[in-house]
Amino acid sequence: MAGNASVAEAAAKPAAYTPASRTPAPQSNFAPWKDPAKNPIVRFENVTKRFGDFVAIKDCTLDIYEREFFALLGPSGCGKSTLLRMLAGFEKPTEGRIFVNGKDITDLAPYERTDVNMMFQSYALFPHMTVERNIGFGLRQDGMEKSAIEARVAEAMALLELGKFAQRKPHQLSGGQQQRVALARAIAKKPRIMLLDEPLGALDKRLRQQAQFELMRIQETTGTTFVIVTHDQEEAMTVASRIAVMNHGELAHIATPGEIYEFPGSRYVANFIGDVNIFEGKVSAIDGNDVTIDWPSGNDSFTAQGSAGLTIGQQVWLAMRPEKVRIFQTKPTEACNAIPGKVVDVGYLGSISHYHVKVASGQQVTALRANAAQTVEHNIKWDDDVWLEWPYDAGMILTK
Amino acid sequence: MNSRFSWFNVTSIVLGFAFLYIPILLLVIYSFNDSKLVTVWGGWSTKWYSGLLQNDALLDAAWVTLRVALVSATVATILGTLAAIVLVRMGRFRGRTLFSGLVFAPLVMPEVITGLSLLLLFVALGFDRGYWTVTIAHATFAMCFAAVVVQSRLHDFDKSVEEAAMDLGAPPVRTFFEVTLPIIAPAVISAWLLAFTLSLDDLVIASFTTGPGATTLPIKIYSQVRLGVTPEINAISTVMIGFVTIGVLVASYMTKRQSAMRERETRAVDQGAA
Repeated sequence: MAGNASVAEAAAKPAAYTPASRTPAPQSNFAPWKDPAKNPIVRFENVTKRFGDFVAIKDCTLDIYEREFFALLGPSGCGKSTLLRMLAGFEKPTEGRIFVNGKDITDLAPYERTDVNMMFQSYALFPHMTVERNIGFGLRQDGMEKSAIEARVAEAMALLELGKFAQRKPHQLSGGQQQRVALARAIAKKPRIMLLDEPLGALDKRLRQQAQFELMRIQETTGTTFVIVTHDQEEAMTVASRIAVMNHGELAHIATPGEIYEFPGSRYVANFIGDVNIFEGKVSAIDGNDVTIDWPSGNDSFTAQGSAGLTIGQQVWLAMRPEKVRIFQTKPTEACNAIPGKVVDVGYLGSISHYHVKVASGQQVTALRANAAQTVEHNIKWDDDVWLEWPYDAGMILTK
Repeated sequence: MNSRFSWFNVTSIVLGFAFLYIPILLLVIYSFNDSKLVTVWGGWSTKWYSGLLQNDALLDAAWVTLRVALVSATVATILGTLAAIVLVRMGRFRGRTLFSGLVFAPLVMPEVITGLSLLLLFVALGFDRGYWTVTIAHATFAMCFAAVVVQSRLHDFDKSVEEAAMDLGAPPVRTFFEVTLPIIAPAVISAWLLAFTLSLDDLVIASFTTGPGATTLPIKIYSQVRLGVTPEINAISTVMIGFVTIGVLVASYMTKRQSAMRERETRAVDQGAA
């Protein structure tokens, strides 16, 4: 995602060369959350939801802006679906208010929330209606004229390429087709905010990737604000403009996919998004931006780029993405962070290889290497003594 | 394979079916008996069936039974469906266990007790016993059967379908009539048929709660049999067996078709996912 930004920068310079296959994303400069003048279209204000003694959502405050593709990401039971269902009106917050477009909708019933429509995980198609009547259901509830309904239904069916299934019943459709009908049915009402509860969960991997791009295309063509709930971090990274990572009913981190991946706010977020190596240590010296971290279990110390607010003696965690760890057979010279270890496992995936290296502290560190050379002779093998090295700005210092 | 057709299995099946159906078969056969003596075969005849049409007392009783069954089945189905919806959809409310116990208790309550207590109630309220008291009594005890049938359908009904309807702008009542009811319709119809059948052949509760001028067919038959079985009774019983058989067959066909359809839907979804 950081790569995307640099491509966009390059494209902004006149006469800069842009590879034809990678046109810059039109939304790369899209960041309404950074603009204090913008009003959010959705605002959760100190929302708490309790089911009996169980706290599903803990004092959550969240702004979502118009035209965003916002992802709520977290493991099952983290409260992400509850948050979405509160926005749709199926659950009522125990405390706090919810605003849509500046209007307090906390006490409105689902059928009174005209700005919001939802697509369900189970698709929830009406089994006794044809595809056409399913899609027109919401419009009939609004008392629209018959000809206007027909036009809208046709429009929605065209958008999702459902034309030839108009007269079929849901049970005569495949899973992918049902998913598109469910999407068409919600989008036909032209809501300002579209809620998607694990919309692609029932599809197999290949179909899911296709559907992700389909969702992005529809979100862009209709200009609707999308809020998606997912437990699949790849899906969230692919589709979303911003991601909120949730943990036990709390918002652990809200940021763009790139920021979340490169600068996660906590060990939980770092672990949840992608793979990560974590070293526990204490700050022993701070020199401007350079922070020295003692790593007692490995009897070593590291230097890393630190942020403000660190104090000497503070307990910190140094987190590092596997692709930023380099692996060598001999000790690299002039490396600022280098530790020895022994290879315990090699995972060859074709394009890349994973190396699991046991280091002095006994923990396993993963390094990732692209297999750039066309050879089957890989010089690093099981039980080899190796050195792991990473630059001082590759790791992130986490304080929680 | 041989063990499936062992002499033991075959004998038990033959004995079991014989025990269940030979009496009914005999009754049907003797309804076509030409002889006036019930137990002596005198050749084939349909004269008892045509005789039925002249027997006003029996026809009246049949007409009362039919009216009671139609009305009580309808009332029982409506109340049973509502009870099932409350039990399945309202979640855990205070007194839910008590409510479900109260709804389903008549299933296991001896009919004599149900009949007697209803009789006491009608007497205490000063109701004139007759057509309406029988109808109310039948609706009361058939309601729990209807509730069971509808409840089992509602249990595997995806609640998000109703939520989707509301999300798309349909208020709860419209959601019920446009989405929920059409989907559970087969279960509601089989509940109605079950309630209808139960009312049709109830003797005990009807005899407790009936009054002058509202003699149902089972009561009529029972009182006539005490004076001696006539071939006419055999004929009317055969007609009733026919009615009940058709009712049960249609009800089970609806249930089967419905579950087959659901299976097909699930299969379609699975194939789509695979």
